[in-house]
Amino acid sequence: MKGPMPRYSALALLQARFKGAGFWKPLWTGRTLKDAYDVVVVGAGGHGLATAYHLVRDHGLKVAVLERRLVGYGNVGRNTTIVRSNYLLPENHYFYEDSLRRWETLSRDLNYNVMYSPRGVVDICLSDGDMITAARRGNAMRLAGIDSELMELEALERFAPELAPRRSRRFPIVGALVQRRGGTVRHDAVAWGYARAATAFGADIIENCDVQGLRTEAGIVTGVETSQGFVKANRVVFATAGHTGMVGKMIGVPLPIETHLLQAMVTEPIKPLINSVLVYVHPGHGETYILQSDRGGVVMGGYLDGFPSFTREGQWHRLEEVVQGAVELLPEVGSLRILRQWAGTNDMTMDGSPIMDCVKYDNVFINAGWCYGGFKTIPASGAACAKLVATGEAPDIARGFRLSRFASGHMLDERGAGPFPVRL
Amino acid sequence: MSRLVCPFCGPRELREFEFHKTLPNGGDTPFERVYLRVDSLTLSVEHWQHLHGCRGWLHVERNPSTGEVLLTRLARIGAAS
Repeated sequence: MKGPMPRYSALALLQARFKGAGFWKPLWTGRTLKDAYDVVVVGAGGHGLATAYHLVRDHGLKVAVLERRLVGYGNVGRNTTIVRSNYLLPENHYFYEDSLRRWETLSRDLNYNVMYSPRGVVDICLSDGDMITAARRGNAMRLAGIDSELMELEALERFAPELAPRRSRRFPIVGALVQRRGGTVRHDAVAWGYARAATAFGADIIENCDVQGLRTEAGIVTGVETSQGFVKANRVVFATAGHTGMVGKMIGVPLPIETHLLQAMVTEPIKPLINSVLVYVHPGHGETYILQSDRGGVVMGGYLDGFPSFTREGQWHRLEEVVQGAVELLPEVGSLRILRQWAGTNDMTMDGSPIMDCVKYDNVFINAGWCYGGFKTIPASGAACAKLVATGEAPDIARGFRLSRFASGHMLDERGAGPFPVRL
Repeated sequence: MSRLVCPFCGPRELREFEFHKTLPNGGDTPFERVYLRVDSLTLSVEHWQHLHGCRGWLHVERNPSTGEVLLTRLARIGAAS
């Protein structure tokens, strides 16, 4: 790209008015692959791009991001855009909270509007038992300085009137755990914003570049073999959610990761109906989370499909279950038509928490295993992973995400479900 | 993939079955056997149960990239793979 990218501002708008259409440049342009880099990041999804951005901005390294297909083709464009930090375990909630704080200022940091919308995440409780579990999680969060409110019907009615909590239902609502700062972020804008900002600081984003293997010499990796030739690299980071098992094979490290599908769907756009993100675990038949996008479509998702798959097709019975929950919660939704349905491949680890660590070689890192929580952690993961790669030391908030925790018994099992990605 | 063929009940809708886990997890130590996964693009060897049918335990081999079911038979004790 020739010349500095114009910063988006009121002044730039004014300049564009006089300089004409040529004033605005593409967000990023294709670069050619150079021979050598300080760091090669594999995967131009949210985590790869955020890592590259922090590597060039905070650590001044020469970075290439290699992407097998196109920027943002994978899970960063397939999620349901929810951001939140309502986790129980300290290793998780400090990290997710760091991420949520970064979301709050990300549009300014990237000079790109990612449309962070703190509309509140509402975990609906249907029994006293649910309320006790929610109170436990909420209290753990509050002790860590994270906002969290346990709402009974009266407060919930004020916060989410569309829910009509007192409406007569098959499963009456008792209350909810609400995180007001949780909400949504426009997912594509996150990929584009990070790609633009990383490029502006000098990173090279190379699309359609398939990484086929590692070249090693005397026990360290000297570079990567790609479909566009060999690239020398002092360090290599893999941020390839959904195909990390294959990366494990390439590196020669078996991983506690299995790939499962998670599907989502969106209806035709309607006028504003749902003000927050509603999470509803319905007795007997699964989970539904439901929100309304800024464009008006009602976005819904639920549990994993339930078995390993790379097909990116969702199972019909899971879709049906998600819709059942949505209609149970908000009967109005029943008259809408679903426009699109899709699925993403999720790196499911055997304790449900991520892996960010140096593996096998001193200069190879993986940023993986984000399960179904990958999107909301992009900003924190980028900063933490960049620090790990640049200095060899992960920041304190990411210390729990080491691969060795599985062998030493320090699992971060948020659900307490054991080494099974789908057991609920 | 929208159905499995149960050796007892014949072809049935997938929702009647419950996925249990992938096999084999391989390795010699308990850590390897419990936590490591094969995660292959071409072959996934699994235990399923015909939970809402005959409740039989099944050994299923599938191609997870295409969804094609390569083999379904009853699982046997002591024949993990």
